[in-house]
Parts: sequence; C-alpha cells; structure tokens
Amino acid sequence: MARMIYALVSSGEHPENLHSKLQGIQGIGGTELTKVSYESISAIISENEKADFTAEKEKVIEFAGVIEALSQGFTLLPMRFGSIMDSIEELNTMLERNYAKIRQNLDFVENKLEFGLKIFCDPEKITAELSSGIVAGIDHAESITSESGNSVFRDYVNKKLREHRIEELRLKYAETVIAEITEYFTGMNTMHTFRKMVSETNIIDALFLLDKDQKDTLVVAVAEMQKRNPLLSFMLTGPWPPYNFVDKSIK
Amino acid sequence: MSENKILFNTGMIDGISAEIEKLSNTEESKLKLTPDNADSGLAKLVLTLVELIRKLVEKQAMRRVDGGSLTDDEIERLGETLMKLEMKMEELKKHFNLTDRDLNINLGPLGDLM
Repeated sequence: MARMIYALVSSGEHPENLHSKLQGIQGIGGTELTKVSYESISAIISENEKADFTAEKEKVIEFAGVIEALSQGFTLLPMRFGSIMDSIEELNTMLERNYAKIRQNLDFVENKLEFGLKIFCDPEKITAELSSGIVAGIDHAESITSESGNSVFRDYVNKKLREHRIEELRLKYAETVIAEITEYFTGMNTMHTFRKMVSETNIIDALFLLDKDQKDTLVVAVAEMQKRNPLLSFMLTGPWPPYNFVDKSIK
Repeated sequence: MSENKILFNTGMIDGISAEIEKLSNTEESKLKLTPDNADSGLAKLVLTLVELIRKLVEKQAMRRVDGGSLTDDEIERLGETLMKLEMKMEELKKHFNLTDRDLNINLGPLGDLM
C-alpha cells in the first residue's frame, strides 16, 4: 500500500470546509480521501494498492475528477498521476521541507484559472490557400513552384523542396496567428504558452492562465479571432486547475 | 472531455473530437519493450532514431538547396543520396513490419516525436 497524492491545497482559513468537501469525493477505486496538513497547506491523499498506480485511462480520468472536484472551492496545485509516498511521515517531511515554495505557488495561482485553446485546420485546404499566396500576412515572395527537373534525382529534390517550403509557410502562418493572439492579451494580466504544429491538423495548442474575472473577455476574444480567421477552427476549453504554470518539482 | 468544459467551438465538434481521439490514442506509438518482443522493440527504437536523424538531415539539406548555395552537380548528388536513404529506410521498415506511425513515438506532454 502507498499514498497517492492528488493535489496540494491551500487550506489555511477554513480547514473545516476542506474536511467536509473530502467527505463527498472518492479517490481512485472508491478509496477514502484524507488530508495531511502542514501549516496552511494540505496534501490530499488516498491509500491504494500499488496496482492502482498504473496509468490506465480510467484511473487517470478518476484522478483528474478528484482534482476537478477539489478545485471547485479551493486553490490548489494538481499533482501528476503517479505521485506517491510510502508513508505519512515521508509526506509530512516533504510538506515541511517544501512549504515555502508550495505556499508561493499557491499564492501565485490564487484566483486564477487555466484555459486551453486548440486551433485546427484542414491541412489540404490551408496548404492550397498558402500555396496560392492569398492568405493575408504571409510573405509569399518565394514561390513554391519548382524548376523543371532534368533527372530523377533533381525531380526528387524539387519534390522535397516543395514540401519543405510548404511546411515553412505553414509554420510562418501559425506564427502570425500566435502574434495576433498575443496582441489581444497585451495589457491583460495573463500568462500563456504556445506549441506550434502539434499535428497536421492541430496547428496551435495554447494555454492561458488568467484572473477569474477575465474568463468572459477570453471567450469574446476567441470568438473575434475565429471571425478573423475563417480558415481555422478554434476550440476553447476550461476552466482547468493550473496544471501548467507552476513549478511543481519537490525535494 | 465533458461538454461543459468547452467554452467556444465552431460547430466542428465531431471533427475536433475525432482529432482529439486520434491524438490521445497513442497505443501504436508507445514503445513496449518486453522479454517476448526484445528484437522487434529494439528494432523499433533504433529505426525511430535513424528516421529522426534522416529527416533532420533532409530538412537541413533542403535549407541549403533553398539558400541557393549548392551547384547543379551537388543537387544531383544530394537527390541521389536522399532518395537512396529513403528507399533503404522503407526496406528496413518492411523487414521489421513497421509503419511510419510506429516510428512516431509519443513523448507524452511533448507530443509526437516527428
């Protein structure tokens, strides 16, 4: 048996609320949730067999469900699935040793929410549009038409060169969309990260951390960006617990 | 993902769900090494690295071609080399019964390798 840690929760002002919240939630495999506290923070744990720690889809979903339920009412730092400690003593030592850093991270995400923005495209359609040079904002000075080949090897290079130029154009296009998104949030208290060309269809994967009261502004901004980019499909999700904007490494 | 977590979408939810399902279905792209499949597991790992390097070499070569610094003769030889590399890679994949998807190992939060 070991202790699965779900989240580190800010429990300072109303520890009794946390206690009653835990009564209404079950851990992985229907296990009981308990808290181990140190000063104003609590680790939410359940006691599980080691077999429960294998990263199967259902268990990971149950794990995320616990974090989601806890986030309704508490500021927390979600832990990665598979974060375990062998004993309560070990857990207490970890909390004590890392208290200052955990507290600082909890204060940082207080009253903040995380959102995800995925931007999709039809790869064939976007390639055709970019190749024809009609997408606004993309410098199309370099043609993607290739010189006629005079050997099979030259033809092969030309084919690869065309693919390379299309890829570069798609990357450049993703960068212009990211610049547009970033411009929207200038002046707002947001943090964001972007990944480009996640897959052939998912050209941008963005994450935002912003104040709770800025949620509606974000939705409006995404709707506006969608209008301006009809070639793309925007999907905004959230709010999520702050999975991606704090350093959760512990000693 | 529960629908109440979707704050905005363009009505293409079916297509997007299919894409998310595809992104999360990483079984094929997981590297599974067990005593029973040590040979094929190792082949998959080695070929993945070879393919990654081959693609990087190809990309760098295209940058040089695009930059206009190569002579016609150099481009010819480059084309022959890259073509042979690709053909050899296809042979090896066939020999070990692997597909492009098998070689695109999923790196978890970092996404796919290639």
